[in-house]
Amino acid sequence: MALKGFLDMLPLSLAVLPWGILCGSLAIQRDFTLLEALLMPLLVFAGSAQLVATELIASNAPLATILFTTFIISSRHFLYGLALRDKLKILPTRWRLSLGFLLTDELFALSTSPRSLKGKLRLIYALSASGSFYVCWLLWNIIGIVAGSYLPDLTETGLDFAIAVTFIALVIPTIRNIPVLVTVVVAGVLSVVFKLINWELGLVFASVLAMFCGYITFIFIDNKKAQRNQEKA
Amino acid sequence: MNLITLILMAVITFTTRYLFLHPRLPIKLGAKTIKVLSFSAPAVLTAIWVPIIFVREQALILSPTNPYLIGATIAVILAAKGNNIYVTVGVGMLVFIGMKFIFQY
Repeated sequence: MALKGFLDMLPLSLAVLPWGILCGSLAIQRDFTLLEALLMPLLVFAGSAQLVATELIASNAPLATILFTTFIISSRHFLYGLALRDKLKILPTRWRLSLGFLLTDELFALSTSPRSLKGKLRLIYALSASGSFYVCWLLWNIIGIVAGSYLPDLTETGLDFAIAVTFIALVIPTIRNIPVLVTVVVAGVLSVVFKLINWELGLVFASVLAMFCGYITFIFIDNKKAQRNQEKA
Repeated sequence: MNLITLILMAVITFTTRYLFLHPRLPIKLGAKTIKVLSFSAPAVLTAIWVPIIFVREQALILSPTNPYLIGATIAVILAAKGNNIYVTVGVGMLVFIGMKFIFQY
């Protein structure tokens, strides 16, 4: 199970390689000390929040701005916590704290099945998947720290496509019914619109609105079915 | 100084992840909320990947020679046909890099 967790996470761990290198090298280029550059992936452990905060710290932004921005970028994790709450709140503290710390987009992406995180084996699977992702993220950052300023700007090379394509591979197969299809279409359209107006909270709002559209579609279809069954009876 | 900033940032990222996993938090999720939340994975993951494909520097890119668009289209087709993640990601990446090279994007 531990090996399977590692292997299932591997494509996602590799997909963030350019981002990790970018985070590490940016920290060094912006005159962070070695310790600070290492503590970013070790403690903050968040791709986009790390990148944005590094630029903000380097430009001497006020502390409140840095922390507020971090909070906004991180706020999508509230959704993950809520979605996994009933499965994880019953676990012993050490499991909750460790899986909570490791609760990234990537771990959440691998925890969508109703059976996920139930029973010791699936917990070990999740811990190995998310733990290996953490180690990889740290390694990619260290490569960036070491290579530092010798590297070209990796965001310009279009390697962010790697993240998009892994998420495509994870999301598309889960579209097995109309409500999920509606969710995906609404999330896709709204996220683009919000991104175009550069709204920081757009990701969270696009997601929440899409979830409600999916739910409403589900209720609508459910009612239709119930009506049809009544007519038959 | 930076060190304190980093530690406060870590507190924020950890809190957003852990808060709702805490058992003592006095909230109880009803059946309706749980159903709404069941759509969270496709919703959030899609809201992350779609803008990467269509938005560059705050502009919408719908050009058919956009390597992101071509790569993503191929990947969506492969994933929909039930290919595993390695095939989808591998072929998607190759198409993307090839198109980037051809169109000098």
